[in-house]
Amino acid sequence: MMQIAEQVLAASVVLATPILLAAIGGLVNRQGGIVNIALEAKMLTGAFVAVVVSSATGSWGVAVLAAAIVSAAIGYLFSLTITRARANMIIAGLGLNVLVAGFVGFIMNVGFDASGTLRMPHVELLPKLLPGSVAALPLVGEALSDLDPLTVFAWLSVAALPFLLANTRLGLRLRAAGNAPHVARAVGLREKSLQDFGTAFAGFYSGLAGAHLALASIGLFNEGLTAGRGFIALAAFYFARNRPVGTALVCLFFGFLDATQIRLQTVGLPPQLIGTLPYAMVILGLCLTAWNLKRKAQA
Amino acid sequence: MRLGARDVAKSYGAVQANSGITLEVAPAEIHAIVGENGAGKSTLMRLLQGLEQPDAGSIVFNDRPIRLRDPEQALGLGIGMVHQEFMLAPELTLLENFVLGHEPVTAALPLGRRIDWRAARAAGDALAAKTDLAIDWDRRAGTAPVHIQQYTEILRLLQRGMKVLILDEPTAVLAPQQADDLFMLLRQLRDQGTSIVFISHKLREVIALADRVTIMRRGRVVSSSRIGETDIDTMTRHIVGEAASVAPPAAAVRAAAGEPVLEVSGLSAPALAGSHPVRAVDLRVRAGEIVGMAGIAGNGQDEFIECVVGLRKPSSGTVRLKGHALAGCDNADFRAAGLGYISPDRAHEGLAKAASIEDNVMAASQRAPAFRRGPFRRLGAVRAEAFRRLSQLKVRFGRLSDPVASLSGGNQQRLVFAREIATEPALLVVAQPTRGVDLGGIAAIHAILREFAARGGAVLLVSEELDELIALSDRIVVMAEGGIVGEIADETATPEAIGRLMLQQDSHKEAANG
Amino acid sequence: MAEATTEPGSGRPSLVPALERMAADILRFALPVLFAFFVGAVVLAFIGENPLDTYALMLSEGFGSSRRVAATLSAATPLLFTAVATAICFRSGVFNVGVDGAFVLGGLAAAAAGALLPVALGWSIAPLAMVAAMAVAGVWLYVPGLLLARLDVDEVVSTLMLNFIALGLSGFLVNTLLLSETSGNNTTDTIHAVAELSRLMPPSTLHSGFLIGLACVAAYWVWARWTPAGYEAKLVGLNQRFARAVGIAIPASIVLVMAISGIVAGLGGASHALGQVHKFSDGFSAGYGFTGMAVALLARNSAFGIVFGAVLFGALASAGTTIQLFSDVPLDIVNVIEGTVMIFAVMELGRLSLRRGRAS
Repeated sequence: MMQIAEQVLAASVVLATPILLAAIGGLVNRQGGIVNIALEAKMLTGAFVAVVVSSATGSWGVAVLAAAIVSAAIGYLFSLTITRARANMIIAGLGLNVLVAGFVGFIMNVGFDASGTLRMPHVELLPKLLPGSVAALPLVGEALSDLDPLTVFAWLSVAALPFLLANTRLGLRLRAAGNAPHVARAVGLREKSLQDFGTAFAGFYSGLAGAHLALASIGLFNEGLTAGRGFIALAAFYFARNRPVGTALVCLFFGFLDATQIRLQTVGLPPQLIGTLPYAMVILGLCLTAWNLKRKAQA
Repeated sequence: MRLGARDVAKSYGAVQANSGITLEVAPAEIHAIVGENGAGKSTLMRLLQGLEQPDAGSIVFNDRPIRLRDPEQALGLGIGMVHQEFMLAPELTLLENFVLGHEPVTAALPLGRRIDWRAARAAGDALAAKTDLAIDWDRRAGTAPVHIQQYTEILRLLQRGMKVLILDEPTAVLAPQQADDLFMLLRQLRDQGTSIVFISHKLREVIALADRVTIMRRGRVVSSSRIGETDIDTMTRHIVGEAASVAPPAAAVRAAAGEPVLEVSGLSAPALAGSHPVRAVDLRVRAGEIVGMAGIAGNGQDEFIECVVGLRKPSSGTVRLKGHALAGCDNADFRAAGLGYISPDRAHEGLAKAASIEDNVMAASQRAPAFRRGPFRRLGAVRAEAFRRLSQLKVRFGRLSDPVASLSGGNQQRLVFAREIATEPALLVVAQPTRGVDLGGIAAIHAILREFAARGGAVLLVSEELDELIALSDRIVVMAEGGIVGEIADETATPEAIGRLMLQQDSHKEAANG
Repeated sequence: MAEATTEPGSGRPSLVPALERMAADILRFALPVLFAFFVGAVVLAFIGENPLDTYALMLSEGFGSSRRVAATLSAATPLLFTAVATAICFRSGVFNVGVDGAFVLGGLAAAAAGALLPVALGWSIAPLAMVAAMAVAGVWLYVPGLLLARLDVDEVVSTLMLNFIALGLSGFLVNTLLLSETSGNNTTDTIHAVAELSRLMPPSTLHSGFLIGLACVAAYWVWARWTPAGYEAKLVGLNQRFARAVGIAIPASIVLVMAISGIVAGLGGASHALGQVHKFSDGFSAGYGFTGMAVALLARNSAFGIVFGAVLFGALASAGTTIQLFSDVPLDIVNVIEGTVMIFAVMELGRLSLRRGRAS
């Protein structure tokens, strides 16, 4: 029993990491006033770049950084279509998801002569941070021995984010640009550039998320690798109403659902339905919020 | 001169919003600017703030003519404006709003520099100490009382070293005690050398606070004098103009007022932002009668109208149209009972700007049996009727399929009338019918209203143009602070008499009783 | 001549503005497409392919013979439905992105009915299956419509999330209740042969669902232009305050367009299940809901534009699969072009600002 709990905890943490990284990016973006539907596209980009660069350089660090930077650049360009060319952010986001999926497939096909799955030689995976001996610790041992740098970075980000958003100049200005762009402009801020920064930030973190998906254990790229995790991340920060710590806990719960799907199947809970739980939670959350608002307005 | 204007003119299309304006605001002076809506005050403020540039003449700052490109430049020079709609981000705290854009910072952190909240709070407290107010800096701006929001915005400007503060009707949203507090602060600022431009409708406040008052009317400055050299009656006369040109005796051509068509009793409704709630209004409009409603903008007229046309749910009271009690707020029910409605906001509510002329003039009739065959619209009949409606009111247009935005302002308003009168309603609720309409258009619209009443229609006319009210109405009710404070029969109506009721809130009770 | 001009000095209606408007409409359709093909050309040039050769090949593979045309129309069929389902909502200012989910559930319902109804019902199975599909999908989108109209729940998020729930739900059902006993995992039984929609040009897969799709577009055109409800929905989309002030019940209008959207999407799913694949299995919709959205955006919700757009994307899809065989250009180029079209269609390109278009 204890052993199962250990395994589930370890798997939950690992599976939560990519969702959490993308959600961190998405929630900062949304605090800056842009709902980013294209986290998925940037995760896919990140995963692809990470595998290619890791294979080419043999360095997981360079690979992760490259993934993040490429995704951030895509995020920035995407942001320009919204803030400067006034594209509808939802449609442009869905369009970017289609475009990037096509583009990545195209490059894979043409550049690497692969279709669907890309296997590269000498892909260096993310290292484990702690010595194997920690596995002996009760309950958390397995989770600790699995810890990789991106998981640690994700949780450190969660810990730092509330402080950074509240207490740095950039954090404050970003929130002002999201909450009331005309006010930000009235006090002399460039609200569009702030929003562009937010989208590039989301791209950066989604790139990390993709890198984690590709390099945490499997070491290859697959077109279906992200499997809607960008949208699960969206669900997470929507459900937690943009609060970093709340979002992290929701992500952990989604990771837990992911980790236990197979086990729950044996007790009769179908994995497909469990997979819809994050999405159902968001709709339910939105309904409850709206219901409360309406009740308050009538009171 | 700290700030001013020299022979400034500005027009929008055919409308001359400002012409030959000269204004001088001295250092350490509180300078009030008063005038009716549409007198050109807002245009002048936009010019002073750099939001727009004058067509002729120049803005003067520290005795030198300058060209203001944008508000940022004005801010940099030390010209700051407090808008009626506060420039605060509602989700941020008051302190965050206070420092936004010029945050005191300390150490560099990965995500930018760290804000020195202690210094920020100290600066805020030091400024707030000028008043008796304790500001709860950690409160979210959106939930703070309005006067606190206003203070926060003023303090933010002071913190940035403003030499001139422009306040646009700052007391509109304040309770009397709060207004007194604000005045105390403004006087202190003046004594320390700040110039203050103060836009107001309330003459008692102007007398109490200002050093100097400039009165505007129809885009021009009609007088500018030291406060000691004028009084409320003189100011009122300047604001509303000399006695209006004699209007044709409207009542003579009209049938005697008949059965009551609209009966409103005890109607109350919550306020829109920056306005007054409606308080227990009783009103009756009879067939063949035009009842005017006067009042300074934001005294509950908008809320009242929305209740009467079924766009807002009253909190209490009843509305009866031709004897039908209309509970709730469903505009379709009101229309079915015989309502026509000319919205005060033609651009956003009276018309769908992106839709065609035909769609605009035929809206609200799409379910009428005459225009349907079974489940389908009879497009031919619709088109013919659209054509008939437009020609009847002599709307000049190109094609029915042209966007309605291609029409001039006056023609747009005629189109709205064409739509609303075509269904032969028993009651026409008309709000600001000639706003943004040129002189020829105004005469036509007045003729339409007179004719409608002569045919036995009932009209409730809400307007900020006193001349218009006097010219058209059989009797005029005056609304102030959400209630009806007086009624004046057509024979005795003069702009001065109405203006006094509108402007001098302290005399409500005498007026209402007298 | 009823709408002859009353402009002084001009006695007859002028054709110039009408032509200008038509030109602007065509330009609004063509510009994003041209941009997208330009982006595609850059990508192709980058890998050393001559873009013109590739596009010429695509053109002949899309329309070169009656067989290829049939393949193109076959690929366009689901898009007719999903584009109409999207346009009817966008036109009313309702941002419904949940057409894909409704399409999937409609397909599942139709496939289930087509396989499970007693074969003795004969020819009536197909219409019954369609009714089932429309009912299921109509209710599916009625719910977020109601949530939007009554509680102001953001329809973008709710319908986006419902897509994933529809996928999960259908995935669950085809692995449990509706799992075929004969043909392995993730699929229903094949429908009765009598329930299959007829093929129009054998051996092509073009089936009579295409005609139903065209009928849907026509019905959409009639609804939008010739019914009071369609007219009211347009006004709601153009200006909600105006619509309210002329007595239109906005919540009812929103719920109506969402329900119709679901019904049309469901019928599309049924057509795809009964006419194309003859069963339901995982991966039933190849993103038809989203491609339909691109079509509706390009067409600016106009019925004619939808037919053009659906055929265009149908041609891209059918040509894409075959040029992959004949050249080094991978099928993914189609996605690149589609995604670019979506982004450029909503960008405000210079003075060609995006306004919600007309259906008529």
